[in-house]
Amino acid sequence: MMMKPAITTVALLCALWTICIVSAEDGEENMTPYFQSRAFNVPILAGWGDQSGEDFAQFQLAEAEATIRAAIVPTDDIIAAVGAELSDAFEIEVGQPSFQGKVNLADGTWSVLIYDYGDATTASVMARLAAAGTVVISFVEQDPAARTALLIMAQTDDALDDPTPEIAIAVESIAGVSLSELNRAESIRLPSGEWTVYTGASMSAMGMVFGNDSYVALREGAPGDLAALADAYNRTLLGFFITPDNSHYLALGLAVVFVVFGALVGSLFWRERSLRKELALLAQLAGEDG
Amino acid sequence: MEEKTKSLPTDLRMEANPPPRLLRVLTVVTILGFAGTLALGLKVAGTDIQQGEIQRIFYIHMPSFFGAFTAFGLTVVGGVIYLARKSERWDRIALAGVEVGLAFSLINLLTGSIWARPIWNTWWTWDPRLTSAAIMCLTYAAYLMLRAGIDDPGKRRAFMSVYGILAFVTVLITLFIIRIVPETIHPVIVGASPQNAQGGFEATSGVVIALVPSLLLWLTLMPITIIWHRVRLEARIEKLHQLKLQALSE
Repeated sequence: MMMKPAITTVALLCALWTICIVSAEDGEENMTPYFQSRAFNVPILAGWGDQSGEDFAQFQLAEAEATIRAAIVPTDDIIAAVGAELSDAFEIEVGQPSFQGKVNLADGTWSVLIYDYGDATTASVMARLAAAGTVVISFVEQDPAARTALLIMAQTDDALDDPTPEIAIAVESIAGVSLSELNRAESIRLPSGEWTVYTGASMSAMGMVFGNDSYVALREGAPGDLAALADAYNRTLLGFFITPDNSHYLALGLAVVFVVFGALVGSLFWRERSLRKELALLAQLAGEDG
Repeated sequence: MEEKTKSLPTDLRMEANPPPRLLRVLTVVTILGFAGTLALGLKVAGTDIQQGEIQRIFYIHMPSFFGAFTAFGLTVVGGVIYLARKSERWDRIALAGVEVGLAFSLINLLTGSIWARPIWNTWWTWDPRLTSAAIMCLTYAAYLMLRAGIDDPGKRRAFMSVYGILAFVTVLITLFIIRIVPETIHPVIVGASPQNAQGGFEATSGVVIALVPSLLLWLTLMPITIIWHRVRLEARIEKLHQLKLQALSE
């Protein structure tokens, strides 16, 4: 007699659970795919080959001979960490950077380093200290046709909504070219935002203002796939974040749950025990009276 | 003890009146279910990439509120039926509902505070949802204090029945306040709210697999099982009290 309602209830609960799981899986399709490791997270770049391992994210665009990689190197020495990362991952021996700067972003102070090896290989690196070591996000381009450099610079005038001053500094300090040699082209809209473009016979440059900083991309010759590379690096930098280690708070939360339950169940046992004692006393008194 | 208590009414002796089979089954299922839902929340659901491990406390925090909702709801049912029929059994259910509901709401409040420390960078803030949850806890704590302060059993039961029914307003306010008051930072998980006008419920399947069984367990089995044990104990305490009075009058 009890079986029918029980079976109906179980069936209803199963149906509810199934609906929840199906609707959750529908929701998952709309979410940005993320590479997740124990230490950090970066968005997976659509259209790029995913070569990520357990502790590092690495995406390669074969036709541009470009690779974007993120990893945490267990040392507090930023230059040493960048050297180890470029050496281990790309077999590049690090020398003196052709550009070195610092920029304050929402999650900390990042070192900006550009390396030019003269043999068609360039490395653009962002690195900062974290609890587990040094975060190194590198863009390495090995296309013999053109060298590429991607970097972030603090705005010289943050009232401006134009990256031109930073583009001028970058082209002059990295490529030794004056911005007056380049012509301003039509701006282009990418998923990361509106980019200002300069082109010339010797090189191309792009820039975008984000907050109080300018994202700058430089390339020898015609722009080619510079926009796609700049957009991908930009999305990696903006999407990168470290998962906080707060497991001790979870342990505290679980301890509190068990303490409250212990108090509740313990009070039931304690009252049961008192009840038995009082019963025994009453029985004893009744026996003595008798 | 068996020898000493055998002259007493049989319904006071635990040995002569063991828990019914259904209650024993419910107790075992509840303990296993609690262990199972803990395992789902700690092992099966993935780590939240933004909040880290502390997000897992959500699989206890949210269900514990709904467990309190069931318990306080039983207090309303117990109060209404007691006022209609004057049956002491329903008053015991109302009392047990408050005790269990208060424990569950304390778990809800404390786990929320522990979650807030790494996520909001504070243990406590006077957010509308947090304030209403604190008022709810204090209202039911006052129920227990007031109940202990009224000597006349008839008056106590009638007064506390009315109190238990009215106190449920604090539960409803706590439940709905994040959908009414826009100045809240408390997350709204399911459906529309002033902060999340479009509504919906977007979660990975791992979250759903951990959350739904936990929600069902805390909403049904956990409060009902503990309340049943508490009601049985209260019945025996009341009988013992009567026996004491009887012995004193003789």
